[in-house]
Amino acid sequence: MLSSRERVQRALDHQEPDRIPLDLGGSGVTGMHVSTVYKLRQALGLDSPGTPVKVIEPYQLLGEIQPDLIAALGVDVIELPGRGTMFGFKKTGWKPWTTFDGTPVLVPDGFNTVPEPDGRIFMYPEGDKSVPASGQMPEGGYYFDTLIRQDSFDADNLTLDDNIEEFELISDEDLEFCSAAAKRLFATTDKAIFAAFPGLSFGDIAQVPAPWLKNPRGIRDIEEWYISLASHQDFVKEIFERQCEIALLNLQKVYAEVGNRISVILVSATDFGLQTGPFISPNVYRELFKPFNKRLNDWIHENTTWKTFIHSCGSVLAFIPDFIDAGFDILNPVQTAATDMDAAALKSKFGGQIAFWGGGVDTQSTLPFGTADEVRSEVLERLKIFGPGGGFVFNTIHNVQPKIAVENVLAMYETVREYGKYPIVK
Amino acid sequence: MTNYNELQECIIKGNRIKARELTQECLDNGNPAKEILDEGLIPGMAVVGKKFQDGEYFIPEMLVSARALNIGLGILKPLLEASDVKPVAKVLVGTVKGDIHDIGKNLVAIMLRGSGFEIIDAGVDVSPEKFVQMAKESGADILGLSALLTTTMTAMKDTVDAFQADGSRDKIKIMIGGAPVTTDYAEKIGADGYAPNAAIAVEMAKTLVGGSR
Repeated sequence: MLSSRERVQRALDHQEPDRIPLDLGGSGVTGMHVSTVYKLRQALGLDSPGTPVKVIEPYQLLGEIQPDLIAALGVDVIELPGRGTMFGFKKTGWKPWTTFDGTPVLVPDGFNTVPEPDGRIFMYPEGDKSVPASGQMPEGGYYFDTLIRQDSFDADNLTLDDNIEEFELISDEDLEFCSAAAKRLFATTDKAIFAAFPGLSFGDIAQVPAPWLKNPRGIRDIEEWYISLASHQDFVKEIFERQCEIALLNLQKVYAEVGNRISVILVSATDFGLQTGPFISPNVYRELFKPFNKRLNDWIHENTTWKTFIHSCGSVLAFIPDFIDAGFDILNPVQTAATDMDAAALKSKFGGQIAFWGGGVDTQSTLPFGTADEVRSEVLERLKIFGPGGGFVFNTIHNVQPKIAVENVLAMYETVREYGKYPIVK
Repeated sequence: MTNYNELQECIIKGNRIKARELTQECLDNGNPAKEILDEGLIPGMAVVGKKFQDGEYFIPEMLVSARALNIGLGILKPLLEASDVKPVAKVLVGTVKGDIHDIGKNLVAIMLRGSGFEIIDAGVDVSPEKFVQMAKESGADILGLSALLTTTMTAMKDTVDAFQADGSRDKIKIMIGGAPVTTDYAEKIGADGYAPNAAIAVEMAKTLVGGSR
């Protein structure tokens, strides 16, 4: 039997391992909402009722995927944890909290929410309530979103330093933390280690408002940022240029510490797709984004054995040849329900050139609104489409959301276990 | 007669400084606000919608044009109101309860404005009761509901149901949109239509009011 690490490696090398590898929680785009993790742990009998689950990502409220859950489901990938969060506080000093749907959870001590009169709750950068809030969750909500803190700015006299404040060299403490974690996970587990570091994605809209900064300057409004992609491309290019220089230095520093213990690295999480087509012009991707994606991927490929991972939601067919050309090894989340994203067509057209990490089941319709039988049948279909020849790691299309029947989640993992062995039965 | 090509071009290219200048210039030359709207701004925005449909324009280009349009509309609005010009129809828009993602809703609103509709914007995280109340107060012909999340799209059904319960469902057309939303879902919850993007939303709104009059 292969180790998990070998299984993932083979799949990413476009060979058939013993079974289709499975990811859950390897990254912030392949995880599960804490409410669903709680329900799943209860259903599997891993916890007694009322046992809280840790929120390891306070923005999307992703739940911790602990070793017992990894073992129970046969997960092959493990996240290389970081110290920080989207809101700038560290993942330390856990305290109890309850989500709007009543799930008992644990959150870091910087997770200081304040209820507003209208029922919303606010979240503060570094947990500091003396500065304006940077996140909000509507009453009854399941995730935080950024609150835009945008001072007026002179669009014709933009200052580069304002928009690159967040890109800095990795601190010695963070580097040490990541190095120790990589060495520990490599030695004590057989899982493929999935790494993500701040500052690699160019123009990721979730990062533009910089909810971890107390007083962000420059272009921080989401709409302003998109407008700048059309009207201030030179300025955006300058930002990316500086960001890229720092990112390359950070990759070198990380590699010097962790070497090839990492299997996969999340290089880009910028969304380029809408449900119905490209978000931005493929030409703008080619001119503005691709050269920087390529520079990072090239460095990684020239110096490491890491596989490079791009996450982009939506309909991205128009970008896939450029993603491949830019040196991406892995595409995620393979949003098959979006326009032009038919699973079989993607596999036959691009399956030899890029590995699919996702596409396992639709999280917009089937998983939340379908029956367990519908989940089984869709998962089985995807195993048969994406599995043959390798180049496939099973994952849902983006994070598993809340408000999902646990029977559906169980049906998904049971189907992967039952029918995911190679050779895939047609 | 004024040649509106240049003003149209400002909207298409998203040149807001020139859009402001030209709109004002047309007014200063004595052109009626309604004519500037109908022959300058609206045809310009129609080209933007077409370019989006044809895959020539994308979200950033639409936003840039929308901004130029807003400037022109801002200048004309008080004059249009003073001269009692009737909009094509009134559309109440908002994101449903629990959902605060409004880029899609805002794009639909501006495309509708740029096609001669009056927009009443209910904002984000709007409860079914609030939609019912605002629809009554404004006399809206159409309600446009937006949701990005699977966890909030069910509030679209609650909103349609609230109009039913209130007895005012037949007084308003309801169209819905947002990433997880589909035509099937619109049918299932008893909405009048689903628009996959802002350009199609305009066509749908025109059809919906055309059908009711």
